[in-house]
Amino acid sequence: MLRALGALVLGALVAQPMLAAGFGLFEQGAKAQGMAGAFTAQADDPSLLFHNAGGLGFVTKTDTAVSLTYFKGTTATFRGAAPFPGSSARGEQNLINQPTPQLYFVSPINQTWKWGIGVDTPFGLTTDWKNPNSFAGRFLSTKAAIRAFDVNPTIGWQATPTLGIGFGAIARFSDLELKRNQAAINPFTLRVADVAHVDLKADLKEGYGWNVGLLEKFSDRFSVGLSYRSKIKVNYTGDARLNQIVTGFPQFDAAVAAQTPFGKNLPVKTSIDFPDMASLGLAFGLTPNLLLETDANWTGWSSFNTINIDFPRGDLPNATIPARWKNVYNYRAGLRWTASPSSQWRIGYVYDQTPQPEEAVNPLLPDADRNGFAIGYGWTGTHKLDLALSYIDFKSRTRLRSFPDDGDFFGTYKTRALILGAMFTW
Amino acid sequence: MLRPTIKTVLIGLGLAAASAAAAFAQVDFSRYVAIGDSLTAGFTSGGLVETSQANSYPALIHRQATGGDTGFEQPLVTPPGLPAVFQLVSLSPLTIRPTPGQGQPANATLPRPYNNLGIPGATVHDILNTTSGGIYDLILRNPAFHNTTDIQQALSLQPTFVTVWIGNNDALNAATSGIVDDQHLTPAAQFDAEYKALLGAIAQNSSAKIAVALIPDVTTIPFVTTIPPVVVNPATNKPVIVGGNPVFLIGPKGQLGPGDHVLLTAQAELAQGIGIPVQLGGKGTPLTDNVVLDAGETATITARIAAYNSTIRAAAGTVGAAVVDTNALLHQLAISGIDIGGIEFTSAFLTGGVFSYDGVHPTAFGYAYVANAFIAAINAKFAVKIPPVSYSPYIFGLTPLPSPAIAGIASVPAFSSAALDSLGRLFSWPQPAAAPPPPPQKNHGRHRH
Repeated sequence: MLRALGALVLGALVAQPMLAAGFGLFEQGAKAQGMAGAFTAQADDPSLLFHNAGGLGFVTKTDTAVSLTYFKGTTATFRGAAPFPGSSARGEQNLINQPTPQLYFVSPINQTWKWGIGVDTPFGLTTDWKNPNSFAGRFLSTKAAIRAFDVNPTIGWQATPTLGIGFGAIARFSDLELKRNQAAINPFTLRVADVAHVDLKADLKEGYGWNVGLLEKFSDRFSVGLSYRSKIKVNYTGDARLNQIVTGFPQFDAAVAAQTPFGKNLPVKTSIDFPDMASLGLAFGLTPNLLLETDANWTGWSSFNTINIDFPRGDLPNATIPARWKNVYNYRAGLRWTASPSSQWRIGYVYDQTPQPEEAVNPLLPDADRNGFAIGYGWTGTHKLDLALSYIDFKSRTRLRSFPDDGDFFGTYKTRALILGAMFTW
Repeated sequence: MLRPTIKTVLIGLGLAAASAAAAFAQVDFSRYVAIGDSLTAGFTSGGLVETSQANSYPALIHRQATGGDTGFEQPLVTPPGLPAVFQLVSLSPLTIRPTPGQGQPANATLPRPYNNLGIPGATVHDILNTTSGGIYDLILRNPAFHNTTDIQQALSLQPTFVTVWIGNNDALNAATSGIVDDQHLTPAAQFDAEYKALLGAIAQNSSAKIAVALIPDVTTIPFVTTIPPVVVNPATNKPVIVGGNPVFLIGPKGQLGPGDHVLLTAQAELAQGIGIPVQLGGKGTPLTDNVVLDAGETATITARIAAYNSTIRAAAGTVGAAVVDTNALLHQLAISGIDIGGIEFTSAFLTGGVFSYDGVHPTAFGYAYVANAFIAAINAKFAVKIPPVSYSPYIFGLTPLPSPAIAGIASVPAFSSAALDSLGRLFSWPQPAAAPPPPPQKNHGRHRH
C-alpha cells in the first residue's frame, strides 16, 4: 500500500533536477527558500519538518501546508575539448521544467509534545541530453534520473521554554533510470559503432533513516538550530534492456547479436547510499523587524562512492560507475524584514560546494560549485502564503585531465536554473 | 601532390588545429624530423598508404605544434598502398586479404629528404648504416641523395626538433618470426652501442630538441596473442574441452603450454590440421617453429626489451630528450584497456580498435593515441602547451564509410594466401614500383622547409 502511494507520488514527479550540491534539493518550502535555505535557526513554519525538527517543539497550533517548488532550467550545455570528444563537440540537455510538491502537517499534542508529518523531496537528479544518438557522451550517459521522496513522521518536544527538540523517522522512496548507448569496434571499418541502446530501470524501492533537530531560542534576538538527517541506503531491483542498433554491416550485426541478449528484460540490482546531512544555523535579530540568519550545512557525499550495477543471473558482466564524491559544506545567509504584521520580505544567498571530483565529471552527472540568489515574500492573514524565487548559477565545470581509472571525456559544462516556490499554509 | 580526398581531410583537420594556435614558444617544429620504423612511417594493415601516412603520429605532432602541414613532407604512397593494405572481407569465415592493386609513390620528386624518415622494417643498425634496397629506395631515394643513411638525411635537414622511435624491429623480428637468435633479436650490447651512437649523432650535429619513445613489449601485440595455444572448435570459436581441460596444440618442441604463443601466421597450418592432434581431426604433425613463440622465447624477448629501454632512458637522459613510455601504453592496453568517453579500446585483434588488420601496426586511432603520448611527454619535458590531437575523427572516421557489401565471401582461410604472404613479408619489403627519381639535389642538406 505504502509503495503504491509512493508510485503515485513519484508519478507526479516526472523529473527532478539537481540543484543543491550533488543531487540534493534544499528548496522544500518557500519561506526558507526566500532566505536561500538559511532557516535552521528559525524553523517556524511547517517546513521545519525538513529544515529542523527542533522547531516542532514550539508549535502551538495545527498547521497544514501545501508547497510547490517549480524548477525551470535556463542553461544546461556541454562544450567539448581535445583529445575527446574535441573542441567541436557540443551538447545540450532538455531543460528541466518541473514542479515538485511538498506537504506538511504539524500539530500540538499538548503543551510539551507535538507531532507532524512531512512529505518532501530532498534528493533528485535528471540529466537528459538532447540528440542522444549523436551526443558525443552517449556511451557514458544519455539520460540519468534518480527520483526520491521522503515520508517523515516526527515527534517534537518542548524541553524548556526556549529549547525544542524533534525526532523523526524517514521512509525514502526512490526509483532510477539510466540510459546510454553501447559502443563496439566495427571490424570492417576499425571504427567505433553504436551497437545498442541500453536502458536500465529500477523499480520503486524504499530505505529508512531518521532525523533529529534542536532549536534553542536564547532570546528574542538570538537562536541556534542544529539539524541532522541520517544516511539512507536504497536497494533497487529492476531490469536492463538492450535494443540493437543496426550498423548496416550484416556480419558484424549478427556477431554482436550472437553475443548480446537483445530484447530481453535482464534483472539488475543496484543501490544508492543517500548521504547524511547536518546543519548549524545562527539567527540574529538585528532590529525588532530585521533578522539575519547564517547557516552552514554539511553533506556526507562520500557515501556516494560508486554505483554498482549487478546482473544476478550473469546475463551481462557486472558494472561499476565510479563517483568518488567528497563530503562538502554549503553556506547560506538570509535576511528577513518584517514590513508589517502581515507582510514579510526575504532575501538570501547560498554558496554550494560540489562534492564531485574532477575525475568523476562526465555527462552522467556533471556537477559544479554554485551560487544561489533568492528573494521571497510572505503574507499572513487568515492563512499564510509564501512565495520565493531563486536563481542558481553553476560555475563552469571543466575536465581537462586524465585520471588512471576514469575514461577521458573532456570539456566544460554550464548550468543555470530558476526556482519558483509557493507554499500555502492554513 | 595529395589526392583530393586526402587534401580535404587535411584541410579539415588543419582548420581544427589552427584554432589551437601554434604552441612552440620553446620548441621549434619548423624543421621537424621523425626517425623510426614502420610505426613512424604510418604503416597500417600491412601497407604504407597516404590515407594513413597523412595521420602518422609525426604528422599529427607537427600539425598540432604548428597548426598545419606546411613543411612536413612524407614519402606518400597512393592507395591501395605499398604493399596493398589488407581489408576484412568476411567475419565468418574470417577472411582478410590485400586490397587489389598496388600503390605508387606520390611525393617522390621532393628535392630534399623527407621529414618523416620512418622506414618500415628498420632497426637501429639500419638507421645508422643502410642506404638502399626495398622500401629504403622509396624513402631514402638513393643514389639521388648521395647514398646517405636515414640519420644522415635527417641531419642534413638541420632539424629543430627530432623524434626517435626506433628499436621496435630489433625485438619484433624475433616475435613475428618465432626465431629468437642474435639475427632476429639484436644483442643488448649492440643495441646499446648503436642507440647511443644514434642519439649522440643527433645531439652533436644539430641543436634540435629530441623526444624518444621506448620499445613496447611486442609479445603483447595481437600478432602474437590472438591465436590461443589450444585447439579451438571453428564452429563455436571456443576451446575444445577433453576431460575437463583444453587440448594444447602441438608445437615444434612437443605439446604447447599456457605460456606459449601461436602467431597469427599459423592460420594456414592450422587450417590444414597441422598442430592439431589426430584424435581431434588434425594431422598430428607439429606447427613449424616460425609460427610459435614459446614461453622461454617470450621471456627472452621481454627481458631484452627491458634492456633496450634501459639504454633508451639512459641515452635520453644524456641528451636531455623527452621520453615517451610506449611500453606502459601497450601494457595498459593489453592488461586493462583504455576508456575514451565510454568506449573501451584494447589490444584485441579486430575488435580492440587500436591494432590494424596486420596485428602489428596501429589503426588511425592508435596513431592518434601515440601522437598524444608524444605531445604529453614533449609538453612536460619542455614546458610547452602543444594541444592534444582530437580523437573523434579517428574514432568515428575521417571519411564516409565504404559500402558494407564486401562482406559475405566464403570458403577462404582466415587470412587469404596473399594476406598470409604479405604478413610473412612484413619485414622484408618488396621493391616499390618504379618511382620517378627526385630532381638533382641542390644544396643538399641545407633546406629549411
